[in-house]
Amino acid sequence: MPTLDDLRRVIRRIEGARPPRPAPGRVETVLGGEVLETDAGSILAVQHDVALAASYGAVRLGEITTVAPATLALLSPNVGAQVDPRGLVFLDTETTGLAGGTGTYAFLVGLARIDGDHLRLTQFFMRDLDEEPALVAALAPRLAGASGIVTFNGGGFDVPLLETRFILQRRRWPGALPHLDLMHPSRRVWGAWLDDCRLATLEQRVLGVERERDVPGSAIPSLYFQFLRRRNAVPLRDVLAHNRHDVLALVGVLGWLTRALDGAVPLRPEEHAGVGRLWERSDVERACACYEAALAAGLDGALAQLVRLRLARWEKRRARWAAARALWERATVHRPASGGTTTFDPRPWEELAKFHEHRARDLAAARRIVTRALDLATDAGAPGRILDAFTYRLARLERRLGCDPHGGARRPPDPPALRAGSESRPSASALADRR
Amino acid sequence: MLGQVLDDILVSRSTGACITATRHFPARAAVEAPFPASLDPRLGEALRARGITALYSHQARAWELVEKGEHVVVVTPTASGKTLCYNLPVLQALVQQPDARVLYLFPTKALAQDQLAELEQLAKQLPELKMFTYDGDTPQDARRAVRARANLVLTNPDMLHSGILPHHTKWATLFQSLRFVVIDELHAYRGVFGSHVANLLRRLRRICRHYGSDPQFIMASATVANPGEHASAIIGAPVEEITESGAPTGDKLFICYNPPVVNPELGIRAPYLGETAHLALRFLRERIPTIVFAQSRLSTEVLLTAIKAGVADKTGDSGIVRGYRGGYLPTRRRAVEQGLRVGDVLGVVSTNALELGVDIGHLDAAVLAGYPGTIASLWQQAGRAGRRSERSAAILVASSAPLDQFMMSHPDYLFGASPEHARINPDNPFILVNHLKCATFELPFQDGERFGERDVKRELAALEDEGVLHRAGSRWHWANETYPADHISLRTVTTDNFLVIDTTARDERQTKRRQIIAEVDWGSAFATIYPKAIYLVESDPYEVQELHFREDEEKVAYVKRVHVDYFTDAVSAKGVWILRRLEDRPRPSFLAEQGEVLVAEKVVGFKKIKMTTLENVGSGEVELPQQEMQTTSVWLTVPPAALARVSPSREELLDGLRGVTHLLHHLAPIFLLCDVRDLGSWLGDTTPAEAGTTVATRESARRRLLDADTFQPTIYLYDSHAGGIGLAERLFEVLPELVQHASATLRACPCAWGCPSCVGPVNEVGRRAKATAAAILALLAS
Repeated sequence: MPTLDDLRRVIRRIEGARPPRPAPGRVETVLGGEVLETDAGSILAVQHDVALAASYGAVRLGEITTVAPATLALLSPNVGAQVDPRGLVFLDTETTGLAGGTGTYAFLVGLARIDGDHLRLTQFFMRDLDEEPALVAALAPRLAGASGIVTFNGGGFDVPLLETRFILQRRRWPGALPHLDLMHPSRRVWGAWLDDCRLATLEQRVLGVERERDVPGSAIPSLYFQFLRRRNAVPLRDVLAHNRHDVLALVGVLGWLTRALDGAVPLRPEEHAGVGRLWERSDVERACACYEAALAAGLDGALAQLVRLRLARWEKRRARWAAARALWERATVHRPASGGTTTFDPRPWEELAKFHEHRARDLAAARRIVTRALDLATDAGAPGRILDAFTYRLARLERRLGCDPHGGARRPPDPPALRAGSESRPSASALADRR
Repeated sequence: MLGQVLDDILVSRSTGACITATRHFPARAAVEAPFPASLDPRLGEALRARGITALYSHQARAWELVEKGEHVVVVTPTASGKTLCYNLPVLQALVQQPDARVLYLFPTKALAQDQLAELEQLAKQLPELKMFTYDGDTPQDARRAVRARANLVLTNPDMLHSGILPHHTKWATLFQSLRFVVIDELHAYRGVFGSHVANLLRRLRRICRHYGSDPQFIMASATVANPGEHASAIIGAPVEEITESGAPTGDKLFICYNPPVVNPELGIRAPYLGETAHLALRFLRERIPTIVFAQSRLSTEVLLTAIKAGVADKTGDSGIVRGYRGGYLPTRRRAVEQGLRVGDVLGVVSTNALELGVDIGHLDAAVLAGYPGTIASLWQQAGRAGRRSERSAAILVASSAPLDQFMMSHPDYLFGASPEHARINPDNPFILVNHLKCATFELPFQDGERFGERDVKRELAALEDEGVLHRAGSRWHWANETYPADHISLRTVTTDNFLVIDTTARDERQTKRRQIIAEVDWGSAFATIYPKAIYLVESDPYEVQELHFREDEEKVAYVKRVHVDYFTDAVSAKGVWILRRLEDRPRPSFLAEQGEVLVAEKVVGFKKIKMTTLENVGSGEVELPQQEMQTTSVWLTVPPAALARVSPSREELLDGLRGVTHLLHHLAPIFLLCDVRDLGSWLGDTTPAEAGTTVATRESARRRLLDADTFQPTIYLYDSHAGGIGLAERLFEVLPELVQHASATLRACPCAWGCPSCVGPVNEVGRRAKATAAAILALLAS
């Protein structure tokens, strides 16, 4: 909330003389590139060609030309199996903010597309905010001619933003264009073990690229606003370079992912686990093979637990009970620690209890499991809902065993009237069981 | 039954003598009109299916004017079938052109829900209607579907402001085909809120122009003095008004009730809350559906406690009487509304929250605990009792406040006064500049483009100099990283609410869920949920254990159910400092000035007050941050020499000045046509803010004045809305009349040494206060 003082300052400025605006410098000479004339005015287009034989860090750019369309389809449900990889447009925008809505402009849009034996990278730059009609006019045919677009978090940001810009300029956004947002497969592959899953992190940790003199993304809007006021384009050179790196990183990450899916690169155990998650959608056998490879290669810690439980879930769905049981039993040994104290993971215990009660029909074994789980959960100070779920399960087992209802129970069960029907109660673990 | 109770109240010895005036409003028959010839037969069918075979005259008139393409405002009493005035033309348009779009605006989410339910009833057989609410409660994943499918969207101004307009491209289909905008409860949009809404509609119409639509506005309002003028100020276009209701009304009796004087020497009357409870119980014990209006959330709870105790003796269960106020959770409120509609709930004690058009069916008696502050609210609250055919009654129980007592001694004023003017000031620079930011965010401003009717070139240039806008070509563009709508709240009350969480169960048993029992808005949190406060929810007392208010934490109060027979009332310290003098007018005996002030307030402690007897039974201290606000104010200073002629004693002078402050504050609303709570008052001095802003309780402020080197006390009357809504400026103009009126009121007051109805109770202000105040007023009036 502005104060009266803010307002007074505004009003003082209304009265005071306004500084003359400096004469516009020649932006195109500073940033390079040419002025492109469109039917809606002119826009600066900066073009770079990069040979497909060149590498971006660990990945050769040309990798993407040979990828099978079916492999692309594994990466995103939006991409059908007939998308021609040579027609893909790689897209990244630089904007005047992250707020979204109609007041956020994309002042720089970088596009890359394969052209013969090189990658043609074109950046459209708005020299002032009134060049947006020309920007949109330049983008429209280039997008319309693509077989699909590739972005990083474009689904959440770049695409809705550009769609808004198109509508504001009274143009139709090519909504039917297949969109491959690399953030989602990247999260599957790296999300569980990298600190974060930003494109810059992947570029550094996976592709092994170190940028020199990179501008932080958060500084970009204010650099552009300063340029609008002072017309000095020199600081924007770094912004254009940043955008080119981002576009190339898109090409690199896609190349890495497709090669990993084809089994063409040696993987770390964590990456095996991640690639397994990509396969889950289409080929459970290959997914499980990846998980097994990850565990065999010595995967440990929380990620190993996650992989074990996922693998066990697939074994259970395929009724391979012995394998599933072995995994659950292994998983009960896992003791996740958080902040110095051990926590209790109820999921394998619950699965084992269900297995013994409903599948093996060994109520006594089920009771042993649940009693042990309750002990561990109590010791670890597990939340009430977990204790409640096991207590309830124990009470039912004891009822079915015909035991003294209070013999082994730590707490009296909830009144049965509330909990009629055997498994109607929501399970303690959200991940578990959909029988 | 009602007749018997009324006869009893009118003639019985204990109550009859307290009645200062009655007014009888005879029943009126309906004025009907046949269905219009142009009405779509499917709609005629739907109406007949609901038992409607003709329209009331005002509904027919609305149809006619809407058909002609006019913007319309309908101002008719509660339960006169106002909603059909807009629903009928809207449904007609949608039945005939399912591609058309319609937007409904309600001041609250709950009212939008109510209206959706009513529309669905009417539109059962009309599959082409796709109606949805779109507000903060709409789940994220449902929003896309609403945008794509709805041809009728019900929302509120806040959502339009921050969720719809800044994302208008997502709503392109709606804006391209927007045929009608319906605004109900138009009277709620006055003052600051109204000024915001007027600017919001400037933005809305601007976006519509961009998409090539020009919607027609249909509005409905409770009674105000200037409905047509107000409506056209809100939408920025001429509006036709409809004020003649054709709906039938039942016979109604309005009674003015002044509680008996119990201590003539001190001028003390019986507590009005007790009298209210007593009167309400007379109705409730005869099972007459009754609504009781209280003037604050706290008095709602106190009244509810008393009334529940009263019905419990008789029926053994007090659940037939419920409370209703802002802060209760929506589920609780819905349950009370539903109970009233179906008759499970016989009586309700409410704040003005039930003044709005929430559907609660019809009640037979209304008891108003205190003058609600405005004539418009008075009739709105009284109108909650009354069916179309049967008899009903409303009783106004006066408090000791000067304004209430004025109404009791001038019933002709009460019955004859025009309701207040609804006023807005869309060009208030604060509000205007903020909405210009939002508007530029939504669409760049073209050179020479107006905002509503207003030329805004200077403001846009100023915003460019601030670095928020950027001019390119012939347009102004938004050039900032922020989302401006997030920084502007349309209501003076911010949306940053405190949750009140009951921990009683959590401590007894390790439980899983947080038991939220109420919400408290930011503005009143420090005065109601400070640590150790007793917070009442439907008369159940809870004690506040902890209050979390720091910026980086979730705003919550943890409370515990307790069994106590007292409630707490906050004691606050205050201060007013002059920031800027805008205008002064030396009068013969004093200096009146007008300008901007800083008002700081801080809750420093509380009093414990026994529920049944209202006696003070203890106190406590609290440590809370100071809250500050800049606003506009009038202040008057009497030169020391002139004061010395009235009395040589500083003490006496301060008592007298305090009485004058009290009177001026409480009588000003008659001249400003506003609510008492729209103004604040303070007796201080003219120390500038730079000298430090340490607040003081009334007692320590008094001490400070007594000990000052030069004795120059100053009376402040300020606008209680941040930034001011123009009350101080008007007050400055009417000051001489106000002083005359205060002087006459004081002379006419029958008490000996001062009472709550003039300068304040004698045991608080001292025996000389009345005489001193009279002398000071005479001096000011000279």
